[in-house]
Amino acid sequence: MATNNELIRVVDVVKEYNKGEVKALNGCSLTVNRGEVVAIVGSSGSGKSTMLRCLNMLEVPTSGHIYFDGVDLADKNVDINLHRRKMGMVFQHFNLFPHKTVMQNIMLAPVHLKLKTKAEARAKGEELLKRIGLLEKANEYPNMLSGGQKQRIAIVRALAMEPEVMLFDEPTSALDPEMVNEVLDLMRDLAKAGMTMVVVTHEMGFAREVADRVIFMDGGQILESNTPEKLFDHPQNPRLKDFLSKVL
Amino acid sequence: MWWSNLFKNLSPASFFNFSFLPKYGSYFWKGIAYTLLLAVVSVLLAIIPALLLAMMRLSKNKVVKGLSGAYIAVFRSTPLLVQLSIIYFGLFGAVSIPRITVLGFVDISRFIPGVVALALNSSAYVAEIFRGGILAVDIGQTEASRSLGLNAWSTMRLVVLPQAIKNVLPALANEIITMVKESSICSMLGMVELMFAAKTVASTTYISLGPYVVAAVIYFCINYPASKGIEAIERRMRRGDKQ
Repeated sequence: MATNNELIRVVDVVKEYNKGEVKALNGCSLTVNRGEVVAIVGSSGSGKSTMLRCLNMLEVPTSGHIYFDGVDLADKNVDINLHRRKMGMVFQHFNLFPHKTVMQNIMLAPVHLKLKTKAEARAKGEELLKRIGLLEKANEYPNMLSGGQKQRIAIVRALAMEPEVMLFDEPTSALDPEMVNEVLDLMRDLAKAGMTMVVVTHEMGFAREVADRVIFMDGGQILESNTPEKLFDHPQNPRLKDFLSKVL
Repeated sequence: MWWSNLFKNLSPASFFNFSFLPKYGSYFWKGIAYTLLLAVVSVLLAIIPALLLAMMRLSKNKVVKGLSGAYIAVFRSTPLLVQLSIIYFGLFGAVSIPRITVLGFVDISRFIPGVVALALNSSAYVAEIFRGGILAVDIGQTEASRSLGLNAWSTMRLVVLPQAIKNVLPALANEIITMVKESSICSMLGMVELMFAAKTVASTTYISLGPYVVAAVIYFCINYPASKGIEAIERRMRRGDKQ
C-alpha cells in the first residue's frame, strides 16, 4: 500500500452505546488517501455519521485505532485539539456561532489558536468569502442568512483553518431543495482543487459524480467499498442492491 | 401637614393608621436604599461562584460534580434565616469587622455578614440558572468549536457562555427581585433595611399595623413593575431570536 500517500487509516473501530447494548460501529476499517474524495452512503442508522464523527474524535471509539498522518487519535495521550485543527468539519445543521458575525465566525479559531494574526485571518476570510460570492455578508449575523448561505459559510469557516481534510456530515440534508446545489457546487470546486474529503451524504448523484470511492454502510459495518461506477452499476452485496433500488 | 389630621381618630391597630409617615418617612427611604443595596450586591457577588458551581455541576469528574451538587442541595434545602444565623454568629462571630459606616447609613460590620450570607445562598440558585442556560445552548455549538481545534475551556468561554448568559439574563433579574423580598429576613439580625425600618417605626410609635402595610406597599411597588419590565424584555429578546 502507498503509505506516504495515506492520510487517514481506520482500523477495526467499534463504537458501543449504553455499555454495549447498542453497537453503532461494528469493526470498521478504511483508508483515505491524500486528495481522495470518499463518499459514505447508507440508510439512516447505518453508522455512517458515527463513522465520520469518529474520524476527528467527536465520538470516541470503544475500541480500534484511527491513524491521522500516522498518529493514532484514539490514543489517550494524543492532544486531539492539535489534530482537529487539520480536519475541517461541516455539520448538517451548520452550527455557525449566532452571537458572532460571519467574519468573526471565520476568524475565531485561527486567531484564538494563534495560527494567524487578526489581519491575516481577516484577509484570508475576505478571500474565501469573495470566492463564494458572499463578501458583502461579512458583517452580518448568521440568522440573517439563508440555509444555503449558512452552510457555505460553515464550509469557509472550516477552510480558514487550512485543513488537510474536510469531513462533511450530511451537509445538504437540512437545506431547502433549491439551496442544495449552491452547496454541492462549492464542494465540487473543493474536490477539483484537490482537497481530501470524506462526505456522508444522501445525494447519490453527487457521490457518483464527485467521489473517487464510495463506501456503503449498513448495521455499523462497511459492506462494500468501490469506485462509484462499480458500486452503483454493479452492486455485489444484496443489502446494497436493496438500498440502491430504493434510493435511485 | 394637612393630611396628618386624617389619622387623628384612628386606633393604633388600624390598617389605615399612617400617622407616623410625616415624622418617620425618612426611615423608610433609608430602608429602601439598604434593601436594594443588599439585593443587588448579593446577587452580583453570587455570579462568579454560581458560574463556577454550574460548571462543576456539568463536569465529568464525579468528585467535582458531587461537591457542587452538595453545596446547592444544602443551600436550597435549609431556610435562609438559619443560614444567615449560622454565618452571622458562626463565621463572623470569629472574625470581627470594624464598625465603619459607609454612605451614611450602612454599618459594614452588619452589612458584610448579611451580604455574604445572601450571596452564598443566592449562588446556589443562580448556579442552577446558569446550568440551565448552558444546557440550553445547542450541543452542535460545542461540536463546531471543538472541531475547529478549540479546547473545552475556550469553547465554554468563547462560544457557549456568551450564548448562555444572554439566555439567563431575565432569570438573573428575577433573582434580584427574589432577593429584594428575601433580604427582609436580615432585619432579624439588625440590618436596617426596609423591614427593619417598619419594625422600628411600629415599636417606637405603638402603631402596630400601618408601618408593615407601608412596607408591603413599597415592596410591591418595587417588585411588580420590575418583574413586568423583565417580562417585556424577555418577549423582545425572543422576537429578536426568531429573525
